Amino acid sequence: MKNFMARNPYWSLIIVLAICFLVWAIFAPWPPGFVDTFGRKKIFLNALFNGITLGALYFLVASGFTLIFGLMKNVNLAHGSLYLLGGYIGYDVANTTGWWLLSFVVVFVVVGAMGVLLQVLVFQRMEGEDLRQTLVTIGISIVVADLMLWYWGGDFYQILTPDWLSGPIKLPIVTAVKSSGEAVFLKYPYVRIVILVASIAVGLAMWLSLNKTRIGMLIRAGVDDRDMLSATGVRIQRVFVLVFAFGAGLAGVAGVVGGTFQSLAPGEDTRFLLASLVVVIVGGMGSIPGAALGALLIGLAEQFGSVYMPTYAVVLTFLIMVVVLAFRPQGLLGERR
Amino acid sequence: MNAIASPSTMASRLSGTGTANALELRGVSKFFGALAAMQDITLTVKPGERRAVLGSNGAGKTTLFNCITGDFLPTSGVVRMFGEDVTKFPPHDRIRRGLRRTYQISLLFGGLTVIDNVYLACRGVSRNRFSLIRPGRSDALMHSAADLIDAVHLGEVRDTLVSALSYGQQRQLEIALALAGAPRFILFDEPAAGLSPAERGDLIEILNNLPGHMGYIIIEHDMDVALRVSESVSMMHNGRIFKEGKPEEIEADPEVQELYLGGGFTHG
Amino acid sequence: MAVTEDVTSGPINDRQQHWWSGLSLSSIPAPYWFVGVLMILLPVLVGPFMLFQVFGWALILGMIALSLMFLGGYGGMVSLVQMSVAACAAYMLAIFGDSAITQISLGWPWWIAIPIALIIATGFGTLSGALAVRTEGIYTIMITLAIASAFFYFTRQNYVLFNGFSGFNGVKPPQLFGVDWRQPIPFYYLTLFWAAVAYLSVLYVSRAPFGLALQGVRDNARRMEALGYNVTAHRIAAFVFASFIAAVAGILLVWLNGQVSPGTAGIGPAIDVLIIAVIGGLSRPVGPFIGAVIYVLLRTFALDFMVSIGLSGERFQLLVGLVFLAIVFWSPDGILGLWERWRNRMNATDKLTGEAHNKDGGSGP
Repeated sequence: MKNFMARNPYWSLIIVLAICFLVWAIFAPWPPGFVDTFGRKKIFLNALFNGITLGALYFLVASGFTLIFGLMKNVNLAHGSLYLLGGYIGYDVANTTGWWLLSFVVVFVVVGAMGVLLQVLVFQRMEGEDLRQTLVTIGISIVVADLMLWYWGGDFYQILTPDWLSGPIKLPIVTAVKSSGEAVFLKYPYVRIVILVASIAVGLAMWLSLNKTRIGMLIRAGVDDRDMLSATGVRIQRVFVLVFAFGAGLAGVAGVVGGTFQSLAPGEDTRFLLASLVVVIVGGMGSIPGAALGALLIGLAEQFGSVYMPTYAVVLTFLIMVVVLAFRPQGLLGERR
Repeated sequence: MNAIASPSTMASRLSGTGTANALELRGVSKFFGALAAMQDITLTVKPGERRAVLGSNGAGKTTLFNCITGDFLPTSGVVRMFGEDVTKFPPHDRIRRGLRRTYQISLLFGGLTVIDNVYLACRGVSRNRFSLIRPGRSDALMHSAADLIDAVHLGEVRDTLVSALSYGQQRQLEIALALAGAPRFILFDEPAAGLSPAERGDLIEILNNLPGHMGYIIIEHDMDVALRVSESVSMMHNGRIFKEGKPEEIEADPEVQELYLGGGFTHG
Repeated sequence: MAVTEDVTSGPINDRQQHWWSGLSLSSIPAPYWFVGVLMILLPVLVGPFMLFQVFGWALILGMIALSLMFLGGYGGMVSLVQMSVAACAAYMLAIFGDSAITQISLGWPWWIAIPIALIIATGFGTLSGALAVRTEGIYTIMITLAIASAFFYFTRQNYVLFNGFSGFNGVKPPQLFGVDWRQPIPFYYLTLFWAAVAYLSVLYVSRAPFGLALQGVRDNARRMEALGYNVTAHRIAAFVFASFIAAVAGILLVWLNGQVSPGTAGIGPAIDVLIIAVIGGLSRPVGPFIGAVIYVLLRTFALDFMVSIGLSGERFQLLVGLVFLAIVFWSPDGILGLWERWRNRMNATDKLTGEAHNKDGGSGP
């Protein structure tokens, strides 16, 4: 942190100012001139919160992708299929048993097992042949997409939010003050807040276990020096399989989350694969904090884009990617090799 | 002068700096994170000088080469070639100024033939690297490539795919690539590793017969080879140079003998 | 042994012949003669539908896949942006030239509109390449995939220039030399000519210094730097060359379909081009054309076939995906690789043909 500030004084200043402005815009009541330019405060706040929660969803998908790439240099272009498959299975489980939470467990196990299959049947056989791995995973995603279309059809599915999570809650943020002097507080869906908190918890847990535990150290050592890791007697293939299972399971769980606060349909697999690609390219390949930063940026860009420049909202995210690639090809938090 | 030296316009362009050192490192360090691979290296090599760098595995020898060629940017310090500060130059700009290197593990183009490999090396330091015109029968660079192949005794396997060559042949090709164009200074990274005694003899002969103006640094584990092809020796240990001298002095030095015969050195 | 001092007098080796052999007619092997004559005589053999909708389309897709093969096979960079480059050229031709959308199309004559379209599309491909090659190998595929989808979304959202969702229709080739180039036979020969030009130029460049250097970069970028090559510049230059081929194909594509829309360059078509190149084989320029013919035949006839065996025609993607998976799993060199392995086995058993088999995939005829 100190290093960054010493090296980039201007950037630090801009970032600090942006954060101050954001805090002000969230908590202070807006002056009328501001409302004229930016619309009502509620719209801004909603875009902000939707952007952050969408970022949380993107992070869940992309962190598995970046973890797998970071450790094994495996490019898994079937990652989006794992997401959508997880969502569909979660829908079926939640719908038949009525237990929303159970669907997470089932999906994590089932999709994680698919990850194990992918690692053992595909990636282990083609170690180091990254082009072939990419091609095979593209093939798998085409086949899986069609099989899912066959089984689940082309309809939209939405996983129902359980009762104890449905409905909005009041946040201690004032959106407007009524003429009577009564303050209007921001209401926001409870389930989204829970998902945001859970994603942050998952992210922190991943970061802590990578940085503070023995297995995490091993994985990080594997990133830097694979030979060293095998020399210490660690069964590297086993670590690989575990990481792949975890990353895949996370993508599946993200599918349940996405199915709850968005919807599931054919094509969502490609959308989330692309989102993961853009997130990790922007954040930096193989970096968990990078995935978090990238996901937040892309989520915010999409939501603010759809509110303030609806025509080009989708293009905006790619524009961010292009700018990052042009000035920092390794990604915002990636390390130059 | 001849086909190989035809790109020597680069040499003549810099001929005004003839008195400058071929290579000069001032306080060069390289850190990987907190790990110091190389610390505060200061090294001067005169034009035409032949220097051996000895040291155990992990002493920082290959890192030293990578910093000289520009594969890594040093964390701190200055690298000068023939009087010019090249610290921030990309590798290809240093190569075009007359630097060459070989690699410890052969880095060759396995999908191409021997002649294509050497031709690429000759082309790399000439103009028209982007040429879309196929070279004809009389192409000067084709001549020099063919001659280089003969010079390293690979004439027999000219049109063979490199991936089909024996290990020793690949090492020889590795040297041919470094001799292409008009090298003024070459870095040899363990050229004798894995060679048979006969092949080692060949190698010593090739190195000793290089034209006098062509200086080099050689990293070599085999003391016998290293001391027979060098005029001066630098000893590295834990990322630092701790002793410099003539081959005889180094051989007789008790500290070096201690390191070599004691536990400090591991051959490999 | 003096390496640099005594080399002027070395005799020229006769085996240097292979450097220009690709240019002499007599060195072209018989199968190529056969295929060439067959392609020229094709209008006599098949009807206008096959000529226009099957072979015309296959040759165009083959050119786009050829541009991917050039980057992937010789440069080691798999680019998914080639279809977008083709679509970009198509769009530019529709915008600068004539189309049914008269409020956008400028209606400039073809001899201005086509060069502009080619230049802009090549520039677009080059810029994409410049962004994609700044990082290591496998990033290229991801970045180009992202750029391709950005192009898709942009053309779909932009109504001022790209006419949004519906795109442009009514784009026709010019009436030149009194020939209607949209008639099946003239159009077939037009595409055949440009496909042959593209094929031969890729073949030629692959053995020129630039192509050799590109293959060197593919095999070992670090060593190429150490031989004095600017690796990034070479990679970007490869994108210029490949993008130009894709752009030419894009012009032909918009004439074939008469229209261009965001769907022309969606993610599906971008992946299809990769599938075509891989099914045919990435190691030789002829591969993409083989892949394209197979793909177009499947596209055109597989639906009927699948329905006839009781499967729903909707499962076409499944079929394509499975064929693609089987190819990448068992024969990374595509159909060409299968063919070569089969021929090797034949050669091994057949002692009469004493000819040594040429294993170098890149050398062509």
